[in-house]
Amino acid sequence: MLPFDIATPGTLAEALALLDQYDEEACVFAGGTALVIALRQRMIAPRVVVSIGQLPGLSEITYSEAEGLRIGALARHAQIAASDPVRRHYPVLAQLFGGLANPQVRNQGTVGGNLCYADPATDPPSCLLALGAEVIIAGRMGQRRLPMRAFLVDFFTTALEPGEILAGIHIPPPQPGEHALYRRHLRTPAEHRPLANVALRFVAGPDGHSWKDVRLAIGAAVPVALPMDEAGRALTGRPITLAVAGEAAALVAERLEPISDSRGDAAFRTAVVRAAVRRIVAEAAGLDWTETT
Amino acid sequence: MSTHRIHLTLNGEAIEAEVPGNRLLADFLRDDLGLTGTKRGCETGVCGACSIHLDDTVTKSCLCLAFQADGRQITTVEGLADGATLHVLQEAFMTHGGLQCGYCTPGFLMASAELLARNPMPSGDEIRKALSGNLCRCTGYQGIVDAVGAAARTLHGI
Repeated sequence: MLPFDIATPGTLAEALALLDQYDEEACVFAGGTALVIALRQRMIAPRVVVSIGQLPGLSEITYSEAEGLRIGALARHAQIAASDPVRRHYPVLAQLFGGLANPQVRNQGTVGGNLCYADPATDPPSCLLALGAEVIIAGRMGQRRLPMRAFLVDFFTTALEPGEILAGIHIPPPQPGEHALYRRHLRTPAEHRPLANVALRFVAGPDGHSWKDVRLAIGAAVPVALPMDEAGRALTGRPITLAVAGEAAALVAERLEPISDSRGDAAFRTAVVRAAVRRIVAEAAGLDWTETT
Repeated sequence: MSTHRIHLTLNGEAIEAEVPGNRLLADFLRDDLGLTGTKRGCETGVCGACSIHLDDTVTKSCLCLAFQADGRQITTVEGLADGATLHVLQEAFMTHGGLQCGYCTPGFLMASAELLARNPMPSGDEIRKALSGNLCRCTGYQGIVDAVGAAARTLHGI
């Protein structure tokens, strides 16, 4: 590892002042599970590492029926998975964070670090898109909020401006009849990094057979997690059959511009995503995806 | 590059040290303190050989910088045994063939010890999930899973 200095500010204001002072020579360090590897591999070479892991008040998880869920950026993955309000109101998130990476990483890594590092081969972004999450960003001039889809910009790139720190995530309260599912494909169970994942969120209509407010999002197979609005519309307001599930899967596959690398080439990732979309829609509708249409 | 002064409790003993900012926790334990029970394996957070307890949770010391231990409690595999009396998990790993070459064993012991601390009677599935961040290239895992189950039963006097 190249040498660097460590700064351990005591407050968020002090941390922001340090970022202002060192500008591009500084990097923000939370749990460290990703950044330590990036530092060792010299993918980043900061002069000053500004540690925020010790800051108070940035790891709380709170829920209210009116406001929904607020997760502090420093909440650890294991903490989110074990949180009562998360388990009760957003079981899909409890499942996702309880299966992210591996147990040791879940104990140390933070949701804020995960999102800001923006490595595509991870679980949270697609699901947070589907749940309609927004991020809360702190800067020297105050806080601003961004929808998740505006925050996720590209491969290892977010909308954070220099000098800003992600403070937390906000997820709206679930609507009556709301369901959400998250499924992923791992190349091997020991690899812990998804090759492709898909998240689906919808509100079941009064007839029980059709959905509204459908949001489908794809992650890991693409440079940045993406909402699939067209497929979402194809799943809205009509009875969900295996044929409809296949139609949505084809719409996603047609428009996908996947990552193509040694872990999976574009054709393979597209095939995985297509199957994953068909299966998650079928599963959500109580259909058996192993049947052919 | 400036150094960073840290205070921590290591295997029950309060210590103080001066570490460079870029000192890896695994290297601090092994190279600065001579606690070589913690192993460096993949050094990329995959294999789990460097697992230690940071406060009451198991973590990978290759993904941690030494300064992050400031004000925390660390337990390494050296802290498991009580003097000459091995921890019940260490005995069980020997009895049930939970190791061959032994390189991954300290990490498995630390992950298993954390599991038993929060779930004193885990199912086979819970054991496998809790150990899913640790790799063993020798045993095929069954001996390890058996050992952790046996240790849980021993702790319950069964």
